[in-house]
Amino acid sequence: MIRFGYVLRVVAAAAAAAGAVALVRGRGVPGEAQAAAVARAAMERLGYAPLGEPTATFEGDQELAWALERARPGPAGAQLARREGGAVRWRLVFPGGGEAQVTVDGVVWSLRRPVPEAPGPDLFPSLATARVEAAVAQAVPDPSSWRLVRAQSWREGGHTWERAWFVGASGPLPPGWRRELELEMAGSSVVSWRRFVHPLGTDLGVVTGRMAELRLLRRPALLGLAIVVIGVLIAGAEAVAYRESTALARGLVYGVVVAVAGSFAADTLAAAPVQGVVLAAVVALLPGWTDLPPTRLSFGPAAGVALAVATLAGGTVILGAGGWVPVTSPVPSDTGWERQLADAWLPALVEEPLLRGALPAFAAPLLGWWGAALLAAPIGALLHPEPSVPLLASIGLGVVLQLGLAVVARFAGVGGAVLARGTCEALVQRAAFPAGPGWNRVALLGVAVGTVLLLWPRRRA
Amino acid sequence: MAAPARVRTLPAAVAAIALAAAALWVPATPPEQPASQPPAAAAERAEDDLPSLGLPWGKVRAWERVNDGWTLTWQPAHGMWLVRAWVPDGPGEVLWRIEAASWLPGVRLSRRAASALAGRDDGVAQGREYLGRRDWLLTDARVLGALPAGGDLPANPRRGYPAAAALLAGLLLAGAAARHLVPGVPSRVWRQAVGWSALALMPLLPQLSALAQPAFQAGVRPWVGELAFGAAATLLLGALAFAAQRFPAVAGRPVAGWLAVGLAAGVVAGRLRPATWLLGVAGLPLRLPELAALAVLLGWLMGLAGDGLRELARPAGRARAAVLALLGVAAVAFAGPWLGVALAVVAAAAVERGSGTGMAVAGVWGWVFGSVWTLAEWEPALRDALVLLLIGVGTVAAIGLARRTTGISSPTAENG
Repeated sequence: MIRFGYVLRVVAAAAAAAGAVALVRGRGVPGEAQAAAVARAAMERLGYAPLGEPTATFEGDQELAWALERARPGPAGAQLARREGGAVRWRLVFPGGGEAQVTVDGVVWSLRRPVPEAPGPDLFPSLATARVEAAVAQAVPDPSSWRLVRAQSWREGGHTWERAWFVGASGPLPPGWRRELELEMAGSSVVSWRRFVHPLGTDLGVVTGRMAELRLLRRPALLGLAIVVIGVLIAGAEAVAYRESTALARGLVYGVVVAVAGSFAADTLAAAPVQGVVLAAVVALLPGWTDLPPTRLSFGPAAGVALAVATLAGGTVILGAGGWVPVTSPVPSDTGWERQLADAWLPALVEEPLLRGALPAFAAPLLGWWGAALLAAPIGALLHPEPSVPLLASIGLGVVLQLGLAVVARFAGVGGAVLARGTCEALVQRAAFPAGPGWNRVALLGVAVGTVLLLWPRRRA
Repeated sequence: MAAPARVRTLPAAVAAIALAAAALWVPATPPEQPASQPPAAAAERAEDDLPSLGLPWGKVRAWERVNDGWTLTWQPAHGMWLVRAWVPDGPGEVLWRIEAASWLPGVRLSRRAASALAGRDDGVAQGREYLGRRDWLLTDARVLGALPAGGDLPANPRRGYPAAAALLAGLLLAGAAARHLVPGVPSRVWRQAVGWSALALMPLLPQLSALAQPAFQAGVRPWVGELAFGAAATLLLGALAFAAQRFPAVAGRPVAGWLAVGLAAGVVAGRLRPATWLLGVAGLPLRLPELAALAVLLGWLMGLAGDGLRELARPAGRARAAVLALLGVAAVAFAGPWLGVALAVVAAAAVERGSGTGMAVAGVWGWVFGSVWTLAEWEPALRDALVLLLIGVGTVAAIGLARRTTGISSPTAENG
């Protein structure tokens, strides 16, 4: 029996590892190296050879990317956001001067080169417009679709500067969208350009409207968590008064970890130290809540892989059913392994002990454990949903994830749920960070821990 | 056992009658002006007086009493814009404002809206289209078509009593801890009263969302705002019902005379410092069950806070009565619109533990009636408030009669 159990664990570990590797392979934002080459080539076409290797920063316009996807549902919209939509791009700064923005699929979105020492003769006023119009060919591949709408010139630094604004037809963008270009010349040399996209109001409105609605719907979920925190305060007073058994040291360590992770994460439910104190109290009180299932950490990460598969498949199902959910992952405001780690694991560290620990501990005497788990599901689902059409689709997907976590917590306890949620979030959020083995390793951290826990030989009784 | 009760009831009844007389004859001058019209009438007036602004207003979604008028919110089902208007009670000017979703270039000022904004209805108006904006050139004015448009509406000056809220939160936590750490025989009556009151409010939540102005935002569809309010209210009501089970009020037989004093004191408090937010509830169609359920829930909460205050004041020993009396005086002097709830807390702490919740509910019940009586001047609200008072008086009388018939029984009898 023991041997069969161990074989089962080995199979679970292998399946989880294989599934996780399949999920992270080929995901992530590509094009960092290509963007540098494209930017260098574009500057060389302007007669400037940039020196050194550029510093690359990933940036994006979240609403614009999702509005493009809404206008062109499915992979076509996501591709547009990475190419002609200019919603997801790399910013490259060359150490010797020169800066460019290149979309992840290699379109130069903006460029600024240092002003040349000899930029050529100033443009004669009667010829300036024609020369500026001709220069647009250096910035865009389809110059015939652009027309000049406004130009100005001024004298500065011994040269005559020209600045022109062009408007392009929608081109590859959805109907009703508009492209704009701003181009600057010093003397007779192009020194910079920058492209803009003006989305159709209704396409942008569906996305930003849904985001505003979800922000509003997040408030009752936060209220639910606040009520749970009040319960934790009272339970803490009770534990002190009755001298109940508490895990103070464990709670303290957990609280410090939560506070540190919160200081790196992009989105926190409350200030990082406040979260740390609350979670320290919850974890310290856990031994007293004897109604909760015991923690079995080892199966948590494997369950997390399954939940990640279900979450990603859920989006595909919604798209297939004619609804809409974003394909492009939320663009992180900053990239770094610590941000990736914190963004993935902080929701697990903060929300799971509250939703799968404290809430069932309080509500189970009245509602039963499963009743409390059902109560926790909508609260958790409203904390981090993404916009969708219909709105209830993404909330429903969140509820499914929460119910899955409730099942995990029933059989693996609060600790198992924390590991499952962290592993799931890390795999799902992998696509938001740049491609590369280093980022993959961070995403697979939970699975690695789970594999070790599953394969670790158990002591015989 | 009945004789001492009768002895205590007589002076209490006299005090209650004196307080009721004071509430009736003492001229109360509350800081807020009474409302001469319900929000529905104010909405009708705004729809009649204001130009249509060239865009559909949608339904009236919410209202709030601000200064001596009503601020009303209209929003169409798609939620892309909302119209707010402040309607004074008297003959003053109706102020209005349009807010539109920031992403919506399709929302452009119509000629009528631009004319209304510029304050002239005639003359030539010429539109100029820009990206996401339409400007209007009027005879001698130019209106830039950026939204929000319209005037500034008067703001609500009453918001923000952080010290009072923090004090009340602390007393509630202390009360919860006290009920848990110093257990008594739980009262089944109060458990059921809170549970049924919370349950009664659930189907009324769609109506009550009219009190949640901030839930309605430009760019957010109104059903989502109502859902957010409903979810939050459901969580709160559920938490209250849960708290009534987990931190139950202790069973006891409150003296009817003291309940009458509490009720009358609440009425006086409502006359002196009425709660303006209750006017919003008084403007709802089903105001009577809503006011009653709110009074029970709020009263139970104040009973919980009163238990906390009683335990915190216990170290004062014999000086406890003086401390509570001082707190009562301080409440009258400084509590402002919190006077009703503050007196309910002090009253609950002043009586014995088994009577605290009853005393607090009586006080809040009277305060709710007194507030509506003082501030609402339209007949249906006054009629329903009177019915609310009669229910309260009838309940107190029934408690008194039951006491006389059965005598004082042990708390366990109620529980059994």
